[in-house]
Amino acid sequence: MGNKQQAGTAKKVGIPALFIILAILPPFFLSQYWLHVMIISLFYVMMASSWNLIAGFTGQVSFAHAAFSGIGAYASGMVAVNLGVPPWLGILIGTGVAALLGLGLGYLCIRMGGIYLSLTTLGFSEILRIIITNEDKWTRGTMGLQVPGFFSEYSKANYYYLFLVVTIFLLIVIYWIVHSEMGLTFRAVLNDELAASSSGINTIRVRILAFTISSAMAGLAGGLYGHYLMLITPDIPSLGQMFLVLAMAVIGGMGSFIGPIVGSFVLETLSEYIRIYGEYHVLLFGLVALAMARFAPEGLMGIVGKKWRKEWVH
Amino acid sequence: MGALIEGKGLTKSFGGLTALKGVDFHLDEGEIIGLIGPNGAGKTTLFNLVSGVFHPDSGKLYFNSKNITILKPFEICRLGIARTFQIVRPFLKMSCFENTLVGIIGRNDKNGGKEERKDEVRTLLKFVGLGNREQTLAKDLTLIEKKRLEMARALATKPKVLLLDEVLAGLNPSEILQALELIEVIRTQLKMTVFWIEHVMGAIMKASDRIIVLDQGEKIKEGKAEEIVSDLKVIEAYLGESDA
Repeated sequence: MGNKQQAGTAKKVGIPALFIILAILPPFFLSQYWLHVMIISLFYVMMASSWNLIAGFTGQVSFAHAAFSGIGAYASGMVAVNLGVPPWLGILIGTGVAALLGLGLGYLCIRMGGIYLSLTTLGFSEILRIIITNEDKWTRGTMGLQVPGFFSEYSKANYYYLFLVVTIFLLIVIYWIVHSEMGLTFRAVLNDELAASSSGINTIRVRILAFTISSAMAGLAGGLYGHYLMLITPDIPSLGQMFLVLAMAVIGGMGSFIGPIVGSFVLETLSEYIRIYGEYHVLLFGLVALAMARFAPEGLMGIVGKKWRKEWVH
Repeated sequence: MGALIEGKGLTKSFGGLTALKGVDFHLDEGEIIGLIGPNGAGKTTLFNLVSGVFHPDSGKLYFNSKNITILKPFEICRLGIARTFQIVRPFLKMSCFENTLVGIIGRNDKNGGKEERKDEVRTLLKFVGLGNREQTLAKDLTLIEKKRLEMARALATKPKVLLLDEVLAGLNPSEILQALELIEVIRTQLKMTVFWIEHVMGAIMKASDRIIVLDQGEKIKEGKAEEIVSDLKVIEAYLGESDA
């Protein structure tokens, strides 16, 4: 028993530790270009994993996730440009604004549930994009909002480590939530909402909570992303971005912890190779995601991991 | 002291179909009350009203004299009314342990440490006979085990009243005997009031203090088992009217 437990703990701590050590290495041998790809991948890991928290663990397919990352980015960018707030503080403000708006939108539309939630969030997302695109004074429309970066001296390696640290932080929080009693209520709501409610779980509150947490995480990811690019455009809260995140989570494996992480790296790297086909790569990913959802609902991790998972998780 | 649960003039329709028509009933503390009637009589609808899944079109429901007519399922559960479902609804992709833990979290009472809760889950699973199934996913259980798991989850909410919807269906005679013993223990040791729907007539007649009979949405009879079995209206409801 003791040995088994020790082996379990070793796996639980050892494997992530190994990955973290490996993750420190890229800046030492990757070109600037591929380092950039890694940074963007980390952004998508944050996006897909936090979207997975609502879509994969409470079954609410929200299309407003990219919109919330846009809210985080623009909120942080605007306080930096207009009030001179440093980006470090700005991204926290952006996270807070995204959380508040997430709470508000969640409160309004979560009671509807199912397809209505998806449609409402889709609408919210488009309205936000249109406002941002047409507004000139604050958001600078399609020109984009130029914002300061995090470091006085530009270094891709620094950004890589910053993204890495925040991503790991978010993943730890997500892991903790999923394995806590709160996460258990998330899963209960996903499994059977009526049974959860009849067992004393306030299902509406649980779903609004998940939505708010997830929106805040998108806001944080968006804020980081904006200050890394130093130019915030309406592409960040666009539906194209949303579908990319969705495809990453679905192809990687929704409802699993590793799935969205794998999906993000695979799809972001892949899209660098098929960049020449322009925006068609989103279409391609969408089709693959559809096929996966139909034939392999547990995604890549479900296909590769059937045997693995038994060994690693249990 | 008044009744523990009291329903007055409960009416519920779905579209053109009236599932319940002005039903009055009450449950006293510590009783085991059976609810019987032919298919479509409105038994499960009555359970759904008491547990807050649906709200009545008219009529009132009281629990400990408190009006619970329009409360939500989780609020009713926290007040102390728990249920199982006719078509079982465990959390399929969660383990037996997790299923039961949800009921404990549902109490929302905050007290009790992590270890205490674990012990409580284990005790409950043993109590319903799933002691060796802790880590099994609910979807891998047999139907009977799923029913037991639902029972454990309902008991985990520490209810004062337990609503059981056809827990005996599909059990063999010896399993029925075990289940009846369990229900008796729930009453005597856990001091719960049991309100149950059952089609296994012998069992419900034997184990209930009082029986309520519904037919086509109306209460046609209420009383002790021996009064029920000899009642002409009840026999007609089940077998059809005689020509004689």
